[in-house]
Amino acid sequence: MENQTFYYDNKIVRNFAYATLFWGVIGMVVGLLLALQFIWPALSFGIPYTTFGRIRPIHTNAVIFAFVGNGMFTGIYYSLQRLCKARMFSDLLSKINFWGWQFIIVCAALTFAFGITTGKEYAELEWPIDILVAVIWLVFGANMIGTIIKRRTQHIYVAIWFYIATFVTITILHVTNSIEIPVTFFKSYPVYAGVQDALVQWWYGHNAVAFFLTTPFLGLMYYFLPKAANRPIYSYRLSIVHFWALIFLYIWAGPHHLLYSALPNWAQSLGVVFSVMLIAPSWGGMVNGLLTLRGAWDRVREDPVLKFMVVAVTAYGMSTFEGPMMSTKTVNAISHFTDWTVGHAHIGALGWNGFLTFAVLYYLLPKMFQTQLYSKKVANMHFWIATLGIIFYAVPLYWGAITQASMWKEFTAAGFLKYPNFLETVTQLRPMYATRALGGGLYIIGILLGVYNLIMTVKAGTFVPEEAASAPALVKRSASREQGEGIHRWLERRPVQFILFALIAILIGGLIEIVPLYLVKTNIPTIASVKPYTPLELQGRDIYVREGCYTCHSQQVRPFRSETERYGEYAKAGEYIYDHPFQWGSKRNGPDLSREGVVNGRQYKPNSWHYNHMLNPQRLNEQSIMPVYKWLISDDLDISTTAKKIRVMQLFGVPYPEGYDKIANDDLMKQARGIADDLKSQGIQVEPGKEIIAMIAYLQRLGKDVHAAGNPTATISGK
Amino acid sequence: MLHDVYKSVGGFGSYGMISMIIFIVFFALLVLYAISIRKKDAEDFSRMPLDDFSKESDEIQDS
Repeated sequence: MENQTFYYDNKIVRNFAYATLFWGVIGMVVGLLLALQFIWPALSFGIPYTTFGRIRPIHTNAVIFAFVGNGMFTGIYYSLQRLCKARMFSDLLSKINFWGWQFIIVCAALTFAFGITTGKEYAELEWPIDILVAVIWLVFGANMIGTIIKRRTQHIYVAIWFYIATFVTITILHVTNSIEIPVTFFKSYPVYAGVQDALVQWWYGHNAVAFFLTTPFLGLMYYFLPKAANRPIYSYRLSIVHFWALIFLYIWAGPHHLLYSALPNWAQSLGVVFSVMLIAPSWGGMVNGLLTLRGAWDRVREDPVLKFMVVAVTAYGMSTFEGPMMSTKTVNAISHFTDWTVGHAHIGALGWNGFLTFAVLYYLLPKMFQTQLYSKKVANMHFWIATLGIIFYAVPLYWGAITQASMWKEFTAAGFLKYPNFLETVTQLRPMYATRALGGGLYIIGILLGVYNLIMTVKAGTFVPEEAASAPALVKRSASREQGEGIHRWLERRPVQFILFALIAILIGGLIEIVPLYLVKTNIPTIASVKPYTPLELQGRDIYVREGCYTCHSQQVRPFRSETERYGEYAKAGEYIYDHPFQWGSKRNGPDLSREGVVNGRQYKPNSWHYNHMLNPQRLNEQSIMPVYKWLISDDLDISTTAKKIRVMQLFGVPYPEGYDKIANDDLMKQARGIADDLKSQGIQVEPGKEIIAMIAYLQRLGKDVHAAGNPTATISGK
Repeated sequence: MLHDVYKSVGGFGSYGMISMIIFIVFFALLVLYAISIRKKDAEDFSRMPLDDFSKESDEIQDS
């Protein structure tokens, strides 16, 4: 058949590549600032916009969605066209995808800095941006599927299967986890509460790792590794098993983020079992990648692209072994809430995603600019400095995690906690935190060398915006299965049916885990003494969410003696039923707060302590790493939103009395005056209308319902 | 033995059992299919990334 000539769109690939480099530097520099704040808390500069709780989401979102996201689009737009032997379906959709994604990133950075957040990790974007993400993601999907449909190859290569699974699953995850009711343009509450919210969130959170950080990059591995090594993929059969087993299993594993929590035991156990089983397909993929290099290992010594790829695939293997191990209850009891999780996440992000992204950039930019890489020597420097950076980053965190977990759990011979002051367990880690910052700094130096090398490469070359290619047109075949054609062979040439099968594979696990939690009432036993938050506490809770307190403090006491001795009663599902969103957290840089308000409890502090702590934590304890929150004392509480917030809560079934929204602010001011009077009696003059009063009200409420089985300090009129 | 393993995983119960059966059946069918692929087809598919009709730029990179 006669060849058709067509042109690959390299402009869109180049634009995404530049964006990858730009956001990579920004995201990691913010990460370095966060790391330094553990050593010098003054680096939050005493202003809201640079506190840990606000810039941590900037760092995570910038690295995941900006750096890795743009890197993913770079690789997909390059490889998809070549694997389909077709230009992208629509140049307009490509441009909308590119500019829309960059606009979202800018919106995310600004809103997080201003404290506009949903308070759900890796899903912090507020509802208008969530909608924008959905639209742009669908644009990407339409463009990708359109390209696959108009392809000139009969068979859809395995890399594209991974791209399809990425698109389908992220769509489902994002939409399901982002169902929220707006209160204002910048504030919403999720429809889920407490345990249900936690399960949906970590179903999303875990699978964002799976389907945003893993499957698209496996697709890139299956394209770029054979290209760079000039070898076919080791085993196509293995890739088929790898793909289906991986997407089927991954979706079940989310509850391993909630072990020993108030989540029902059966859901936790499902998470553990499927997480351990995940080792098999994950290592199948790693082995397939590494064995592709058989006969080409001598080139790994010389070729920086292959060097980066080998370390990337090895890091994938390490983190996909470590992840299932951390999912077992024995290891999780030690690792959870510690820096082990942070170390684990960074082996994946810096090693797997970061190194594979740079391998892809080092491969495709010289090709698109018709030149060679400016300097192999600089690329090798980048490789070694960044590799050292990863080691210096992760090893101290593992060490620190085991140190801290051991200190949390150690008892004296007399049966008391050996380190009852949480801060002791933090100050012990300062050397590890300093070394981690050094590791992060080294990784950034490596990236800057990489950026320099690529800029010089681009300068030296001539860009080919429209790359000519030719291939015969696709021969039309029957839509139904031909004689002797297996189901999978048929699927491999039918993109729409392939999408449906992938959708079914990922939905099975999600539905079996999540639906019973909504249908079976016994999963969440109610506690009669648990009452809705008062209006002031509700406003205080929103300030808690705004400041990102959950990034350092958990609200979930695990059923270990070491935790109940330190904090109080262990967590129960029924105590969170009014928590929209849940605030269990995933890391303890400070102590758990869920029993903070229990008078005479182990964690209880008077109102004046909270006031002074927010004003200047280092004045109470100079070793403290908590940032100052002095603006809470000077800023007025916005009570114009109270009525709307009450109405939205009523929509969710929170039992505020009918018409309560109209008088909620009266109750709010009454409770606020009580706190202000108490502070006054301690010699602290503060008006009742300040944000600090609401924050104190919320903190003093935590745990009270469960412990007292009786009266919260404030009441709701009409109850 | 398998039964003892399941019993030792707290709360695994029928949800877990059903899920495992679904996966094992699915996995077994998948492996059978993978084994049944003709060798030549598997080799052709595994070479797909190498066959992108843009040799010019490859040569520049390799030179």
